[in-house]
Amino acid sequence: MQSNLVSFVQVLRSHDVRVSPAETLDAVDVAAALGYADRDLLRDGLAMTLAKTPEEEAVFLQCFDRFFSQGLADFSLAGTDDVASDESGAETSGEADSTISPDADPPGADTPSHAEALEAAARDSEALEALLETGLMRELMANDRNALTLAISRAADTAGLAQIEIFTQKGQYTRRILDALGEQHIRDAIIELEQSHSPALPIVQRYRDILREQVRDHVEREYLLHAEGRSSQMMDEILSNTRLNNIEHVYLHKVRELIRKMARKLASRHARKRRRMKRGQLDMAKTLRRGVANDGVLFNTYWRQVRREKPQILAVCDVSGSVAAYAKFLLLFLYSLQDVLPRVRSFAFSSHLGEVSSYFDDYPVERAIELINWKYGGATDYGNSLQDFAKLAIDDINSNTTVIVLGDARNNHGDPRLDILQSVYRRSKQVIWLNPESRGAWGTGDSEMLRYQSACHFSAECNNLKQLERIVDQLLKSAR
Amino acid sequence: MLAQDFPQLASVEQIEEAFESHGYICSRKIATAVFLSFKLRKPVLVEGPPGVGKTELAKTTALMLDMPLIRLQCYEGLDEAKALYEWKYGKQLLYTQVLKEKLGDLLQGAVGLAESVDRLHQFGDIFYSEDFLEPRPLLRAMQQEKGAILLIDEVDKSDYEFESLLLEILSDYQVSIPEIGTVKARTTPMVFLTSNNTREISDALKRRCLHLYIPFPTVELEERIILSRVPDVDEHLRHQLVEFVHSLRQLDLKKVPAISETIDWARSLLLLHAEHLDEELVRSTLNVLLKFEEDIETTDGELRTLVRSSTDRQTTGVDT
Repeated sequence: MQSNLVSFVQVLRSHDVRVSPAETLDAVDVAAALGYADRDLLRDGLAMTLAKTPEEEAVFLQCFDRFFSQGLADFSLAGTDDVASDESGAETSGEADSTISPDADPPGADTPSHAEALEAAARDSEALEALLETGLMRELMANDRNALTLAISRAADTAGLAQIEIFTQKGQYTRRILDALGEQHIRDAIIELEQSHSPALPIVQRYRDILREQVRDHVEREYLLHAEGRSSQMMDEILSNTRLNNIEHVYLHKVRELIRKMARKLASRHARKRRRMKRGQLDMAKTLRRGVANDGVLFNTYWRQVRREKPQILAVCDVSGSVAAYAKFLLLFLYSLQDVLPRVRSFAFSSHLGEVSSYFDDYPVERAIELINWKYGGATDYGNSLQDFAKLAIDDINSNTTVIVLGDARNNHGDPRLDILQSVYRRSKQVIWLNPESRGAWGTGDSEMLRYQSACHFSAECNNLKQLERIVDQLLKSAR
Repeated sequence: MLAQDFPQLASVEQIEEAFESHGYICSRKIATAVFLSFKLRKPVLVEGPPGVGKTELAKTTALMLDMPLIRLQCYEGLDEAKALYEWKYGKQLLYTQVLKEKLGDLLQGAVGLAESVDRLHQFGDIFYSEDFLEPRPLLRAMQQEKGAILLIDEVDKSDYEFESLLLEILSDYQVSIPEIGTVKARTTPMVFLTSNNTREISDALKRRCLHLYIPFPTVELEERIILSRVPDVDEHLRHQLVEFVHSLRQLDLKKVPAISETIDWARSLLLLHAEHLDEELVRSTLNVLLKFEEDIETTDGELRTLVRSSTDRQTTGVDT
C-alpha cells in the first residue's frame, strides 16, 4: 500500500500539486494512523497533509477518486446469463486491494455448459485446445477477477502504460497490453473456429470482447490519471512560447491561469526584498560623532537606514487592433502583481489617450480590459496620444518612475512627437518600449520604432509569454 | 501525551461525540484533523472565512481535554519579545542596585583586579537565568507540565519574519534562548494556528502543519449547531432562519454572515419571541446578520423573495 501511496503522490505532482518528500512521509503516517478501512476518513486525512490550498484540495479530491476507485474488472459473460445481480454486488466493493475474496463464483449451471461446449469444440480445433490450456482463458472462464485485474495491471506495466502522454496513444497501448496478456491465442482460436463454423465461436468471441473492453477501460483510467496532468504541463509550455495574438480564443482562459502562475512566481521572488530592513544597522561613526556633544557618552544612537523607494509604474498601452491582444496580456500581468507593484497606473490609447487605472479598481481585471478595448480602440495616432499623456502624467514622472510603452510604433505617417518622449526619458528612471513586432520589422513602412528607440532606456521585442515574463522580472529587479 | 490519558481522543468518532457534548458541532473532517494532530503531534493550520469557528475549535479542544488554553494573538509587528520570552529588565536593574553593597562584602580581601574578576566568575550568570526570564505565550506553552493547547490566532496578520520564528517551535517543540540554551517542551502541546488568508502563508510553515479548511457549514449541520447553541428556538423557526442565512450567502456581499452571526440572530429572534420569519421582522433585525450598510441596502430590495423562498422551502420540507 505504501508504494500505492507513493504513486498517488506522483499523480498529484503531475496535476500541479506540489508535494515534498517530507509530506509524502507524513501521508504514510496519516494512512497508518487512520487505517485503510474507511475511505472517506483516509481521504480527509490525506487531504490535510497533501493539499495546502482550497484549489489544491479540489484537484486532490478528483485525483483521489480516480486513483483509488479502480474497481475489479468484471469478466462475467454479461448478457448471456443472469449475472446482473452478481455485478452490482461486486462493483460496490470498490478497493483495488487484492485482499477481497473472489466473491464472483461463476453463476451456477450456465458456465459449465459454456465450458462443456468449448471442450466439445476443442476436440475438433487445435488452436482452441491450446487456448483452453492457457492461464488467461482459465481465469476468464472462472471469472477470477483478482487474478485478471492483477494480470492486466502487470501487462500494463510491461507495456509501460504509465508513460502514456497523449490520447492518440490509447489504441497503441491497448494493443500492447492485449499482446502481453496473450490475446493472440484467442485470436488464433477464433480464426480456426470461423473456418469450421463451430457453434463455440460466439462464446469465444464474447470472451475476447469482454477482455478488450476491460483493457480499454483500464487504459482510459490510467490515461486520465497520468497523461492529463502531463499534457497540461506540455500545453503550458507550448502556450508560453506561442505568439500572443495567435493563441486561439478557447485557450485564453488557460493563458490567464498561466499568467497568474507566472505572476505568483515573480511575486514571491520579489516580495521578500520589499519587506527587508525597517530599522537598519547601527552606524558607529555617526553615533560617535553625535556623542561628542555629550562628553563622549553615546547617548543618541544613529541607525543607518535603507531608504525605501516607492517604485511607480506607468503602463502606456496601444489598444488599437494590431496590438490590443498584447496589451491585454501585459495589463493582466501587471495587475496580477498587485502585491509587489502596488503603484501601477495604466493608460490606453489609439487615436487619443486616457487613464484607465480606475477601471481596474472597479472591475475584475478581465472585465476591465474588455471595457478599455471597447472605449479606446481605433486607429492609432502616437503623436496625439503622447501629447495627451504629457498633459495627464508628465508632472508625476520622477526618478522613481518606470514608464512602459507597449505598441508597434506604427503611426500612420503622422508626427511622432519624439520631443515628448524625450522629455519623459529625461525625467523618469527608465522608459521601456515593448514592441510585439519582430526586430526586423522595426523602422519599415510607417513604423517609427527606430526613432522612438533613441528615447528609450530599453526596448525589446515582446510577443510571447516567455518574453513577457522575462521583461517583467527585469522590471521588478530594477524598479526597486 | 499518552493516548490512554485521553479516552476522548481514541478515535475520530469519539472526538466528534466529545465535541458535541461540549456544544461544538463539527464535521467529520474537523474531528479527523484533531485526531491526526494528536496522533502525529503536528500542528493544525485552520483556514476559512471569519466566523466559522476556527478559534472556537481550539477553545473547545482545551475544554474537552481540560488543559489550559494559551493564546497568542498575532498582529503586524509582533516580535519574539512579545511572543516568546523577554528578560525582566526591571528586576535585573533593581537587583543590581540592591546587590551593590553585597558586592563590596564579596570582594573584600581580594587583591588586584584579576582576583576580583575571578571571584565574580564563581557566581555564574545569575542575571540571565530562568528567574529573570519572562515567558511569553509560546514559551509558556512549552513549560506547562501537563500539556497545553496553544492557539496562534490569525497568523496571517503577523510579519513574514515571525513565521520563521515559529518554525522551530512547530516542528521540534523547542525554543532556543541564546543565554540559556534550548528549552524543550515538557509535554508536547497541541497547536492550532488560524488564518483568514489575508496573505499567503509561507510554504515552510504550511509544510509543518496539517491543513484544515473549514467552509461554511451545510444547512443540516448549521441547524444542529443552532440547536446546540440556542436550544430554545423551535424547530420550525430554526429551519427557516438557517435557510435564510444560506440564501444570503449566495448574494454578492461585502461580508457574508458566518455561523457566529447566525447564532446571534437566532438569539435575538428568541428575545423578540418570533415564531416564524416575515419580511418586517427580518428587515428590523438584519443588522445583526449584516455588518455593512451597503450589504443591508443590497439585500433590502430582494428581501421579500428571499424570505418567501426560505419559508417556502420550509413548507415543502415538511411535506416530504
